[in-house]
Amino acid sequence: MAVTEGQGATDAIFFREGLVETPARGDAPAIPLTGDASLDKHIRVALLKEEREIARRFEGGKMWIYPAFAFTCYAIWLSFFPLAIMGWLNLPLAFVLSTVFAVGGYVTSHEAMHSNIGRPGSKTRWLNEWTGKVSTIIIVFPFSMARLMHLEHHYHCNHPEKDPDYPDRANGPWHAIYKTWLNRQPGVDGSIHIYKRILAEMGTKEAADSLKDTIRLQLIFMAVLFGMAWSGYAIEAALIWWLPRHIGLSYIRFYLSWAPHHPREERGRYTNTRLFKSRLGHIGSIGMETHFIHHLYPGIPSHRTKEAYHALRPVLEKRGVHCPEI
Amino acid sequence: MQNAVQALFKIMPFLFGIGFIAPLIAQTMSYWEWEPPLGLSPIGFGLLIGGPWGLYATWRGRWL
Repeated sequence: MAVTEGQGATDAIFFREGLVETPARGDAPAIPLTGDASLDKHIRVALLKEEREIARRFEGGKMWIYPAFAFTCYAIWLSFFPLAIMGWLNLPLAFVLSTVFAVGGYVTSHEAMHSNIGRPGSKTRWLNEWTGKVSTIIIVFPFSMARLMHLEHHYHCNHPEKDPDYPDRANGPWHAIYKTWLNRQPGVDGSIHIYKRILAEMGTKEAADSLKDTIRLQLIFMAVLFGMAWSGYAIEAALIWWLPRHIGLSYIRFYLSWAPHHPREERGRYTNTRLFKSRLGHIGSIGMETHFIHHLYPGIPSHRTKEAYHALRPVLEKRGVHCPEI
Repeated sequence: MQNAVQALFKIMPFLFGIGFIAPLIAQTMSYWEWEPPLGLSPIGFGLLIGGPWGLYATWRGRWL
């Protein structure tokens, strides 16, 4: 199903351009080729070829850093629990680190969602899958669900009903921060309710399994919190898992979903995501200043999108894409 | 099984109120050496806050 995964994404563009005759999936193009309306088709195809050639140079790279980060952080985070119970843990430090791990975990799992660590059938596929699985445990968002929802986001970016991230739409940064909290409330028609509806519409075994994984992980999370709390370690559980999860989810929603897609009105290949300058810098915004490049070429890993943006900028400007200094 | 899980998640905010918020309040009070009012024990006070708060979240669908 992963048309937008890695190489598939760029192939899909050529399908839309009529260079390869392949039917589009669903009732709307996943990544329609739009851009400056004044450019004729010949120029647009030429620009796309040039763009694709440049982008290819940035796909792959030092991908080992993602599993290394994911497994190291997971092991450190896991060690916090026995250390906290034994009283050998600096809790404020553990809280800060757990929050960093929660946010960073989504970045490493994101690479796995796009199979950038190991393609299906490759020798490193298992590493790809396990990197994804361990990375999202802290935020209690199983990899199976995260991957399905993220790929749906790519297929239907900014579609009010089909984009699972659409509930993050907000008028401004403060409203966006508020929405990250609101969408997690139990009775609000926020993220999890949208996910469940989309999964039901998909109706596949993969979708049903991901929902079961989510229920299982949620129950484990609650069991750990309740068990630790009633054993006298409520503060430890709050600072190692509960708070880092909530802060991490809000941070992720703000920077990965709201900031690069604001105002969420356009659905074109060159208009559904924006380039922006973050006050927290490129690392502080978890590389999301150039998330636009990721939507064009999901095979380019997070740590190379900025570099790729600088190389692609002249071609993108010819297309009429607003390219700020980043 | 599915119905049981659905029912469990429906009342999860209440369970969270008594299962996590109540002991968290109690242990935070003890840590800062705050005395609970009305001669209550820390966990009694925690349950008095966490239980109704969880019920409110279950009923209203949001914590605030």
